[in-house]
Amino acid sequence: MVARTEIRNLEGRKMVSSIGMIVLLVSFSMLFATLLLGYAIYRLTSDVWPPMGMQRVPLFLPTVSTFIIAVSSLSLWKFEKEFELKKEQILLPLYLVTLTLGAAFMGVQFKLWASMKAMGLYVEAGIFPSLFYTLTWIHAAHIVAGLLGLLLMIPAIIKQDFDEKATLVANVSKFWHFLGIVWFLMYVVMFVL
Amino acid sequence: MAFFEQHMHAKPTTFLSKYIFSYDHKVIGKQFLWYGIFFLGVGGIMALMIRWTLAFPGVPFPMIGQFLFPETGGVVPPDTYAMLFTMHGTIMIFYAITPILIGAFGNFLIPLMIGARDMVFPLLNMLSFWIAFISGLLLLAGLFTPLGAAAGGWTSYPTLSTLIGSPGVGQTLWALAIFVLGVSSTMGAVNYITTIIVLRAPGMGYFDMPLSVWGLGLTAILNAIFIPVLGAGVLLLIFDRVFGTTFFLAGAAATSGTGDPILFQHVFWIFGHPEVYILILPAWGIVSDLLSFFARKPAFGAKATALSMTSITILSTIVYGHHMFTTQMSPLLTQSFMTLTMTISIPSAIFFANWLGTIWKGSIRFHSPMLFSLGVVFVFGLGGLTGLYLGTVTTDLYLHDTYFVVGHFHYTMAASVLLGGFAACYFWMPKMFGTMMNEFWAKVHFWITMLGLNGIFMGMMVVGYAGMHRRLYNPFVYDFMANLVPINTFITWSAIVMGLAQIIFVVNFVHAVFFKKEKSSDNPWEVGTLEWTIPSPAPHYNFKDLPVVKCGPHEYGNPNLTGDRDFQYQTEELA
Repeated sequence: MVARTEIRNLEGRKMVSSIGMIVLLVSFSMLFATLLLGYAIYRLTSDVWPPMGMQRVPLFLPTVSTFIIAVSSLSLWKFEKEFELKKEQILLPLYLVTLTLGAAFMGVQFKLWASMKAMGLYVEAGIFPSLFYTLTWIHAAHIVAGLLGLLLMIPAIIKQDFDEKATLVANVSKFWHFLGIVWFLMYVVMFVL
Repeated sequence: MAFFEQHMHAKPTTFLSKYIFSYDHKVIGKQFLWYGIFFLGVGGIMALMIRWTLAFPGVPFPMIGQFLFPETGGVVPPDTYAMLFTMHGTIMIFYAITPILIGAFGNFLIPLMIGARDMVFPLLNMLSFWIAFISGLLLLAGLFTPLGAAAGGWTSYPTLSTLIGSPGVGQTLWALAIFVLGVSSTMGAVNYITTIIVLRAPGMGYFDMPLSVWGLGLTAILNAIFIPVLGAGVLLLIFDRVFGTTFFLAGAAATSGTGDPILFQHVFWIFGHPEVYILILPAWGIVSDLLSFFARKPAFGAKATALSMTSITILSTIVYGHHMFTTQMSPLLTQSFMTLTMTISIPSAIFFANWLGTIWKGSIRFHSPMLFSLGVVFVFGLGGLTGLYLGTVTTDLYLHDTYFVVGHFHYTMAASVLLGGFAACYFWMPKMFGTMMNEFWAKVHFWITMLGLNGIFMGMMVVGYAGMHRRLYNPFVYDFMANLVPINTFITWSAIVMGLAQIIFVVNFVHAVFFKKEKSSDNPWEVGTLEWTIPSPAPHYNFKDLPVVKCGPHEYGNPNLTGDRDFQYQTEELA
């Protein structure tokens, strides 16, 4: 009986925090939706895009970022599955892959900003660089939060607290996948189109 | 519902854990209440300075004028006037009304009314208060910067709010304060929504929740969805000011594409119109409950009231364009927004009729919470009807940016929300602090406030209709407005009287909280909702045993009731 209440409580807590996380992600998606809407309006009301004297940002680095974040999402998804199944051996490699890819994404973002500067696209130079820097900054700030979330999972992996930490793992992955989706939208809207 | 046993913290013993960093939703509610009352005072004094300037141009502000504006001999200077109306609007909306209705009563009422022991995320709840506190400090810090506080209006439209319009740090601090407050509100919203979904007592369906909880829950949904929109807007404004981006700079450079000041207005009002309902929905919910409690009748059409509030919530998200009829939108768009805006009158009329249906032939008890609730019905009626003129493109083009607008939104947002807040204060006082406020002085407070605010806002509509522009330091330099000075004097005297009446409330409140010996009974108003089944003030962890809900919140006059009771507790089942 005690065990059953315990399980019920764990299930309850997991459900509660996933509802909380979903509400939070709705909030975040409104933030990014507003930013992307702003982007769309600036772009659609502009006579030429990019504005005169500026070049498009080359697709190479953003494509690399997209690839990295997609793979990291996959590995984290696999990690979450294995965490639920309590498979100890495979957890650490999957976790390290995700963390490394997450850090690599940030690295590529810094490279992207440096390359934009090299192209003469400075933040103050007009609406075109303003948009690119601001949107990628805000996304990167969330990536940093996501990385901190990933670091929070270390004790769970070391102590193998599968029941207690299931909620944390589920929430961090939700947040990470969300950031992946946002990046993909940004990639298509800002860099490809 | 009640998916799990909530973790119970040990009863706090130290001063810090009990009153400062408390996890208890009731204490956090009270913290928000004091916070809101403090800012209500600050914003109120600013309002009086604005009114003083309009009634007595060039006359020093009494008492504190000499101290605040020594370089002009106590007269409010023109640039300070702009800061005053900016800060008054910001403080009243974001730092007074929001913390009192959503922060204080949302936190206090939701767990008590749905039969939970606390919010679902107590730590998040505590953080949300302290982040709001930091935001308040940031905002007030603006007042002490070299070029003064923000002065771009509470809407902070660019170009008034860009570095060109307001070069000082005050405006940056304003934007930062709003962003930080948004973070706090979002945390609150996550907490409220999750709590309402999972912690309702066993047996409590959504329609068994009191309408106050409906109002607060819908508010939380709007908050979760639309605060981030404002967040994005002010974030871009901060970037414009700090990092030199050009989002809102018109014609920044012909070759590099230009920013667009109007975009800020779109973003602001996509948030701003739902914000009106964020503020008013809790008051509506509370009034819907109180009218039934004090008319000793079931709330007429309670389900329809809840559903009307829900449809208003949904409609509120697609009408924001009516704030921008004069920004050269396409006529097709203005007409669409006008039509959608008018659609809101349908659900509004439904629940307004339900309010009247609730008090119709009731055995009304005119206690102070009821008086304030009836006050809300009256002022909200006026506010809603005057809204029709502003939602219609043709009349709005004339009335735009006049005092008619100021009168309208003060009726809907200031008057009705304030009265709703007072109703809630007087009503839940016993559950919050264990004492009742003095009923006689409460009634005196009500009548003076009611007369005062109608004098102010009705007067504003009259001068607005006569063409008096808002935001002008001295509109009477224009000949056609010179003869509006007497009525402005009348408005100002009404404001002073209303302002002084609030001292009655503060004294009554402070006396009841700190000095009154006489404890109130557990259920002084004879009401059946869950919070009245427990002792006053509500004990640590609210419910010793979680209640099981058997009926709705407004059950009156059941023939099977025994004794001289006319109400039924939500935990009772009568055939």
